Amino acid sequence: MSANHQSHTKRRLISSYFTTIISISLVLFMLGILGLILLNTQQISNHVKENIGFSIILKGEIKDVDINQIKKTLDAETYVKATHFIHPDSAAADLKRDLGEDFISFLGYNPLLPSIDVKLNADYANTDSLSIIEADLLNNPNIKEVIYQKDLVSLVNQNVKKISFYMLAFSGLLLFIATALINNTIRLSIYSKRFLIKTMQLVGARHSFIRRPFVLQGIGNGIVSAFIAISLIIVVLYYFQQQYPELIDFRNFELYGALFLIMIVLGILISWISTNLAVRKYLRIQTGDLY
Amino acid sequence: MIISIENAKIFQKQSLILQDISIQINKGEFVYLIGKTGSGKSSLLKTLYGDLPLKEGTASVCDFDLTKLKKSQIPFLRRKLGIVFQDFQLLSDRSIHDNLNFVLKATGWKDKQKMNERIEEVLKSVSLTNKGFKFPHELSGGEQQRVVIARALLNEPDLILADEPTGNLDPETSEEIIKLLFEISKKGKAILMATHDYQLMQKFPSRTIKCENSTISDSSPNSFIKTESTYNTDLPQEGNNL
Repeated sequence: MSANHQSHTKRRLISSYFTTIISISLVLFMLGILGLILLNTQQISNHVKENIGFSIILKGEIKDVDINQIKKTLDAETYVKATHFIHPDSAAADLKRDLGEDFISFLGYNPLLPSIDVKLNADYANTDSLSIIEADLLNNPNIKEVIYQKDLVSLVNQNVKKISFYMLAFSGLLLFIATALINNTIRLSIYSKRFLIKTMQLVGARHSFIRRPFVLQGIGNGIVSAFIAISLIIVVLYYFQQQYPELIDFRNFELYGALFLIMIVLGILISWISTNLAVRKYLRIQTGDLY
Repeated sequence: MIISIENAKIFQKQSLILQDISIQINKGEFVYLIGKTGSGKSSLLKTLYGDLPLKEGTASVCDFDLTKLKKSQIPFLRRKLGIVFQDFQLLSDRSIHDNLNFVLKATGWKDKQKMNERIEEVLKSVSLTNKGFKFPHELSGGEQQRVVIARALLNEPDLILADEPTGNLDPETSEEIIKLLFEISKKGKAILMATHDYQLMQKFPSRTIKCENSTISDSSPNSFIKTESTYNTDLPQEGNNL
């Protein structure tokens, strides 16, 4: 009978932890999803920015050595992601295809100049950096012109800034809501044990002694919740990968690792702090105010 | 002297409950604390175990000066005294053995074997050997109260404060509990017991302190029991109510 009862009490305890853990997991899961979206906005914005580039139009009489020299110097620059040399002949072939007309035989010569297409690293894809880069390049006597679309560059930057700001504000709000929800769940579970806490105090236990098991339990719950949330996120990621393989880059292990680490840390921190505060509250309160 | 109070005033929040309190209780004394509900018995006991701060007057309990008592010292004061409650206040989420074990762990015991021995010892002293594996609500009220007394005895306190320990028990069980407390006091522990159970007091007369009109009066048992028993006839007794 007693063994039976003991298992019943244990089951009841486990089920009360279970509810808390599930609540925390769901909230962490929501935060994780938001983190995923944030990570991907970063990637998308980088992707867009890195497709912004400029063309360097070289002088017609330039030697191959000089071309190689310029290309090499560019490749060594931090702002350059990739360079691509376009020979006047291949440029002419492209243009011929676009126009559908053999303009070389019409003109009698190839008017196009050799050029280098430069793709920028995301950090440098803004008008300020571009104007400095432009001025720097024009010092080279072999470079005739640097071409890029100023409006496009600033438009992309503005939009990315706007979207990032809203995403961040939204994340902040969600984090706040998540903390409040987890805090509430934990406070309720501690509230249900307030008389237990008071009794422990009355038999001469020190505050830290009473707090320790609660806080350890809280941290444990936080860790378990974080792992449940991470498992859910992995399921979601896997599903999306199957449906939209181009959307998710599984090679970004470090980014996802960081996200999961943040989820674990958040899970632990929020449950730790909330448990501590809640238990402290009931430790300080006078017996008469418990009812 | 286990309890020594001089000119104390006792407040519950801002309101004055008792004033001009002077009490001396010696080792091994058994003292009843009586008075109507709301007369301040519980507040007086709470002050003695540090749940209410002493704002005026001087008082010392088990060599702790209550006027200078810091929050961090309260646990150490409570280790010097045992507290018995009307509503038992056992930890409902664990067995009797674990209830007692918790107190030992909380009060700094480390040696497992010694802890188990001590638990057996106190359970034996309240005649509850072999019940350690049970959960509090699997025991009868009288058994639970005996566990509480066992718990109070764990750290060999000099003083036991009992706040209506028989309030939830039938008359026969109440008598058992009182007998147990008297035995304990004979072993040299001071006992201060708040009660409404005047029949029991007649059966087991002892020094009595009465809370009335915001103050206390202290008298030998006999004079009190007389006045109380007449006063008692037109009042239902709490112990018998249940």
